[in-house]
Amino acid sequence: MIIAFALATAVLFGSGAYLLLKRDLVRMVAGIMLISQAAVLTIIASSLNRGQAVIHVGPDDDPSDPLPQALALTALVIGLATVALLLAMVHRVVVVFRTSEQDALAATEAEVEARLERKRQADREEVEGVEGAKEDDAEAIEHEELGRVR
Amino acid sequence: MLLSIALLLPWVAGAVLLIANGRNRAVAWLAVSTLVATLVVLAFLAAEVYGNGNVRVVTGHWPEGIGIVLEADPLGVTFALLSVLVVTAAAAYESVGGVRTRTFPGLVVILAAGLNGLFVTADIFSFYVFFELAMTASYALSAYGGKRRQLRAALVFTAVNLLGSFIFVFSVAGAYRVTGTLAMEQIAERMLEVNPNAVLLIATGFFIAFSVKLGLFPFHFWLPTVYAGARPSVAAILSGAVANIGAYGLLRFGAGLFPQQLEQAGLALIILGAVSILYGGVLAVSRGDVAEMLAYSAIGQVGYVLVALGVAGPVGLVTAVLYSVVNSLNKALLFLASGVRGALVAGAFAIGSLSVAGVPPAAGFVGKLELFRTGILADSTALIVLLVAGSALSLVYMFQVYQRCFWRADPAKAKASPLPQRLIAAGLAVLVLAGALWPEPLLALSGQAVESLTSSSPGAS
Repeated sequence: MIIAFALATAVLFGSGAYLLLKRDLVRMVAGIMLISQAAVLTIIASSLNRGQAVIHVGPDDDPSDPLPQALALTALVIGLATVALLLAMVHRVVVVFRTSEQDALAATEAEVEARLERKRQADREEVEGVEGAKEDDAEAIEHEELGRVR
Repeated sequence: MLLSIALLLPWVAGAVLLIANGRNRAVAWLAVSTLVATLVVLAFLAAEVYGNGNVRVVTGHWPEGIGIVLEADPLGVTFALLSVLVVTAAAAYESVGGVRTRTFPGLVVILAAGLNGLFVTADIFSFYVFFELAMTASYALSAYGGKRRQLRAALVFTAVNLLGSFIFVFSVAGAYRVTGTLAMEQIAERMLEVNPNAVLLIATGFFIAFSVKLGLFPFHFWLPTVYAGARPSVAAILSGAVANIGAYGLLRFGAGLFPQQLEQAGLALIILGAVSILYGGVLAVSRGDVAEMLAYSAIGQVGYVLVALGVAGPVGLVTAVLYSVVNSLNKALLFLASGVRGALVAGAFAIGSLSVAGVPPAAGFVGKLELFRTGILADSTALIVLLVAGSALSLVYMFQVYQRCFWRADPAKAKASPLPQRLIAAGLAVLVLAGALWPEPLLALSGQAVESLTSSSPGAS
């Protein structure tokens, strides 16, 4: 029984890790979901040392350890809540960026980086006036973008 | 009683505040006053714990051994006080400036409840529950501001840390399987008789989970994007309060539950810490942006904690506690100061910078001094050279940015931030100064915290 659980957990975790590395954000969320299920399976497997499932126990039967089942329930609920939060975030990202690809998000970061670099360059060459005008570049880009989205 | 109040007060108030509209000033200040009240309760609790020993509560009046045990010991209350202090400062800072989303005040209070809970619980599964409560609040907080950079930061932060949390659950399941209990004390006892390979695997799981939180070198990849992308107050909360979970976890689980494994892995921890210090330092020097520099600096600074933990022994552990406390104050101060302009701020930032570099009039000096003592006790030249190099690097990157930010007349930024915001930064700076001018309480606190940690673990040699 333990080997079946181990295999199932391994497959779940492996698929989850694979999906997590995908570019598409929805797949990434699916990957995290699979990994959370793998964790729940592990908790259940940790109670497999004695007794029968408590679904139908006779007076003489030895019931299984109930504690991990309570833990599994708690873990499931927490997993559900966090995945819901993550999905909400992805939804927000899709609304704002109009894409669910990681690359587009990384491009924003690169843009900010490039502007900072330009600012530093101007600083080194002592170009007057550029500094003040470009001070809050990161914010400026965001305002611009947000305006466009709305 | 105090312990229950410290938990329930922010929990209930947070839940209520989440419903209210946080953009309303009154709601924001209500959140801040809840946090202050929690801080006061925690201070009384700390006085009780330091004076008369641990405070223990079994939840729901269950008999001992069945109910979940909450136990406030010196290590736990120290971290709880510190984290709630940072959260309070950041919340007050944000309330002065005007809160931008309706959920912010509720979330910070819930975050404080989660942090309090995980610092005082003596049960690994309820540790996970509180940990997830605090983390979920911080996932939502990291998106605060709602612009593109913050959204991206929140997404990265959530995805990576959820993975870390699930690895923690795997280890909890493993620990339950081999010991048949979830209470920390019993786990520590029973772990001694378990197959060492299994224990090592479980301990590694916990180590990875906490390192992800802390942003140690091989697990740091998420950190710069998040700290640089989040708003200053949120970055202060993340680096000054939420990262404490990692430091506390490494101490509690490493030194408390797995002392033998900690000893075995000492060298590996020192190497990882060293790499963190150098990597963080070198990259921080190359960054011109304040937030990004601070983010890389955070990676470097937690390296010191890991090095101290790797050296272990009483001195190493005391240093690890002391340095985590000082580091979290530094980071909160610097992130908050980086977000404001005007009189007082440059001074506050300079004190923070000196503290990070470990130069005398700031608390960082005490931390660095203890680190050097650890290095000498460990009898390792390489370690001392590393500490000197790391400190030199921090001096360079801090003052490079300080110069860029504060030593230039900047006509576009002449508008000063509101005075209370500056006062909060200055207040934290005074605290950092006080820590250096009168270090005795800080040292005594750390000493007692470590004593409580090692005396509870039977495997400690």
